[in-house]
Amino acid sequence: MASHDTTTPPHATIEKPLKSSQLPQQYKGSWGPALDVALRMFLFATAIVAVIIMAASKQTKLISLFPGFAIPLEAKFTQSPAFIYAIAALSVACLYSIITGVLSVFALMKPGGSWTKLQFHFVILDALLLGIVAAATGGAGGVAYIGLKGNSHTNWNKVCDKFGSFCSHLAGSIVLSLVSSITLLLLVWLSVYVLSKKLARG
Amino acid sequence: MDTEYKEKEKEVNVSNRNSSFNCKELVFRLLALSLTLVAAVVLGVDKQTTTVSLTLVPSLPPVDLPVTAKWTDLSAFVYLVIVNAIACAYAAISLVLLLVTRGGNKLVSLILLMLDLMMVVLLFSAIGATGSVGLIGYQGNSHVQWEKVCNVFDKFCHQVAIAVFLSFAGSITYLLLILLAAVTLHNK
Repeated sequence: MASHDTTTPPHATIEKPLKSSQLPQQYKGSWGPALDVALRMFLFATAIVAVIIMAASKQTKLISLFPGFAIPLEAKFTQSPAFIYAIAALSVACLYSIITGVLSVFALMKPGGSWTKLQFHFVILDALLLGIVAAATGGAGGVAYIGLKGNSHTNWNKVCDKFGSFCSHLAGSIVLSLVSSITLLLLVWLSVYVLSKKLARG
Repeated sequence: MDTEYKEKEKEVNVSNRNSSFNCKELVFRLLALSLTLVAAVVLGVDKQTTTVSLTLVPSLPPVDLPVTAKWTDLSAFVYLVIVNAIACAYAAISLVLLLVTRGGNKLVSLILLMLDLMMVVLLFSAIGATGSVGLIGYQGNSHVQWEKVCNVFDKFCHQVAIAVFLSFAGSITYLLLILLAAVTLHNK
């Protein structure tokens, strides 16, 4: 990057950078920035869909004890602290992806190599968020697995045979949060790769 | 003479910085190795047998039944032990690789960094799973009629908590390795 330092023509500074066709010269043809922004948008999409699915997972069933008397039993995500944490962590990931996506796009528009400087900070922040989202995935997955299979040693009976729709919502949400953590992993790998390439060249 | 001395001081400082960064990475990997090893062992030997007295028939005296809690009873604990074992083995292999290449080989350093991140993901997910299952064991869950277990098996639950904290420390060490690599790249 240091070898072809851009000298921007005087009229470029007054132009408003709006379209990707007006990217500074140093980023033209490199797939790193585009992949970075695309992954961040994908992270936003998966995180928000996971949150929505888990929040909409409430299921009510009428259990009839004896004929003519039925009590409604509810299954919702607030009944387990693991699911509450999962929703909180995914919401944070959602917000984070918007903020960093916008920052990344702004840094790309500005000529002068500030995007690679931003990647240093993104490595650390992405790794931290990856830990948080991975813990949320693991926690929700662990509790959902017990709900699915039950546990004979601790006498915890399974829940998913009674509340099938609740369990399938949870399964979808957990799969999506796994996809979010893989996306974050790819983001950090991309940042590390871009930074090492920059060092090799400059 | 003065500028010569200053140049020599700068050289020594740079070489010190290079070797000290190498040392820090070695220390972190050694720390990660020991932490994950102890966490795996602590949870792997976790077993507790207590007697529970049950009153089957009101007229007869209560029957004492021995009940055992092992770490293999819950799949989340098994997952934590496996992940800690993987992290420990990886720490050993990466330590050997680091000593062999002395931080000179760029490709090896890059691959080690990417695998460090994989270890962070695995360890954090295992901690999340064990933490949430342990929380159910500690508090119970009244909504789904899951009773708490830790009032009976207190020593078992304490060992699980210790293993979780040790794994958390191990995963923080791996995060610090990534931070160290980022800072090294920034300073170059």
